Amino acid sequence: MSVLIDETTRVLVQGITGNVGSFQTRVMRRHGTRVVAGVTPGKGGTRVDGVPVFGFVREAAAREPIDAAISFVPARFALDAALEAIESRIPLLVLTAADLPVHDVMKILRFARANGVRVLGPDTPGLVAPGRCKLGVHPERVLREGPIGIVSKSGALSYEVCKQLTEAGLGQSTVVGIGGGPLWDLDQSDVLCLFEDDPQTEAIVLLGEVGGTMEHRAAAVIRERITKPVVALIVGRSVPEGARMGHAGAIVGGELETAASKSAALRGAGAKTVRTPREIVESLKGAG
Amino acid sequence: MRLLEYQAKRLLAAHGIPVPKGRIVLAPGDLPQDGYPAVLKAQVPAGGRGKAGGIVRVETAHEASEAAERLFGAMIRGIPVRQILVEDAVPVERELYLGVTVDKEEPVGLLLASAMGGIEIEAVGKTASGEILSFRIDPCFGLVPPMQRYLASRLSVEPARLTEIISALLEIFSAHDATLVEINPLAAASGALVALDAKIILDDHATFRHTPHWTELAEEQGEGGADGAEDPATSLRALGISHVPLDGEIALISDGAGTGMLTLDLIEDAGGRAADFCELGGAAGAETIERALSVVTKNRNAKALLISLLGGLTRMDEIAAGILAYLGRSEIPIPVVVRMSGTKEEEGRAMLQRAGIATLDDLPEAVRTAVQLARGN
Repeated sequence: MSVLIDETTRVLVQGITGNVGSFQTRVMRRHGTRVVAGVTPGKGGTRVDGVPVFGFVREAAAREPIDAAISFVPARFALDAALEAIESRIPLLVLTAADLPVHDVMKILRFARANGVRVLGPDTPGLVAPGRCKLGVHPERVLREGPIGIVSKSGALSYEVCKQLTEAGLGQSTVVGIGGGPLWDLDQSDVLCLFEDDPQTEAIVLLGEVGGTMEHRAAAVIRERITKPVVALIVGRSVPEGARMGHAGAIVGGELETAASKSAALRGAGAKTVRTPREIVESLKGAG
Repeated sequence: MRLLEYQAKRLLAAHGIPVPKGRIVLAPGDLPQDGYPAVLKAQVPAGGRGKAGGIVRVETAHEASEAAERLFGAMIRGIPVRQILVEDAVPVERELYLGVTVDKEEPVGLLLASAMGGIEIEAVGKTASGEILSFRIDPCFGLVPPMQRYLASRLSVEPARLTEIISALLEIFSAHDATLVEINPLAAASGALVALDAKIILDDHATFRHTPHWTELAEEQGEGGADGAEDPATSLRALGISHVPLDGEIALISDGAGTGMLTLDLIEDAGGRAADFCELGGAAGAETIERALSVVTKNRNAKALLISLLGGLTRMDEIAAGILAYLGRSEIPIPVVVRMSGTKEEEGRAMLQRAGIATLDDLPEAVRTAVQLARGN
């Protein structure tokens, strides 16, 4: 099993005719993803890699039920596209675009909540259940199917960790990128609970960073609900207070938002905290 | 973009919030002949101007002229003063705080209020008597009427006046894509409420829907002698690059925020310090890395350059092409360590190898190498 997606998930790609959208659609399909439709306004009736393209989400959804959507629509049009997918109540929406205006992110997340839609992102590589379904842009070569569940704010950091796990023979059940913020719908706590309930997942890797207090909520969830081993790496130990480190959410605004405070909370809740990706591998090998 | 005080107040006034009467001057000779006492306020985008001597109360035209001579050309919080706001001195009985920002937990605005205005809101929370009232604002309901009455009661002000100001703040917050709209202090005197100072930060990511208005605001900030050069941070942002200057000796370019911060931590663990944090964003191309190289090589403290790459959407052959293109027209005067892994990495490495640049696959090893090179051994 995997979380949120599997080989039966019927996927719609928004922005499928663009450079990134068409390239990633091919990669996702090659990985086994059931891409059943694509949407680009004004491009209805064409095909990308054999996938039918529609002008509106409603047209695609009328032809076949959609379980999840991934949007490759650039930031300035991302709000419009997201509202369209949410209005059709596609249960899961992945927003890959970064640098959305924060008021647009607020609107998307509020509209999603009102419609019962779960959102990953913005600024996320998406998620992947290696060998079953890829709803994201993770480089395939770093992935391998297996028992480790990964939840990460950062895309590249999750690739780095997957690479080292895979090289050490440790595969992944699902790799979930929740995005760099500044606001989230699905967060670390949600994904931790999904992994806890997933029979394939035997251990969980939590990749966090400075800024905000999400890791403290995750610590509370680990204490109360999670029985599987959790290894946590919080990056940004050395960043100065007040500087915005690449992600919209990665800005230290107080003691609770530092890497040290988050690591201490996670440790206190029973997670193993480490300082490098290599230590994650060592820790999981030791546990196995 | 952080607005200057007079730009922020102009926006408040346009939404019906009372502000003192004032005008902007670009030279001492532009000062008004009458209308004193008045307050001269240096227009620099920084907090703590009062303590730094940037706000001066003057009783006469002569005093005003002397103060203006002193302020123009002075540095306030490290920024040269080029514009001065000359404002009517208004009576103040009490100083309050009102602000709206984005809530950190929920996708809504957060209204903050305090009866202790005039100091930074972060500092209010640290005082024994300082109470910060906060309200998450549902965009459908705004601040609900019972909370309007509650807040007015806590601040000891008239509810109707306060409600008008709060509605205007919320309107500015959403209509102008602001991430912060703050009145501090909001002066209360004989029933009236007047915004004495204002801070508004506009969301740079929303620039596309406020052009040309925001471009004009930025140009206006440069009036009075700024060199007119493009803000380097702005041009970098357009390429998706985040750049944070630091004070160490290793220039760092990474292709992700998380791996960038990890590399920063590993540099420190290895006994080094980063001179820069330069992150290319999720989908960088040749132009992005060229631009990043031109930024970090300007840092004279840097003794080595570490390029740490693990591409997802970023293609290593394109990054290699960008590095080679940069080297074709400029020199990198410090040793370079490239850690390259990810999409099209074989192609990228081969391209760099042909140009005599070695690449490493292991991040800790690359970090150690960079730290050693920066030490000169």
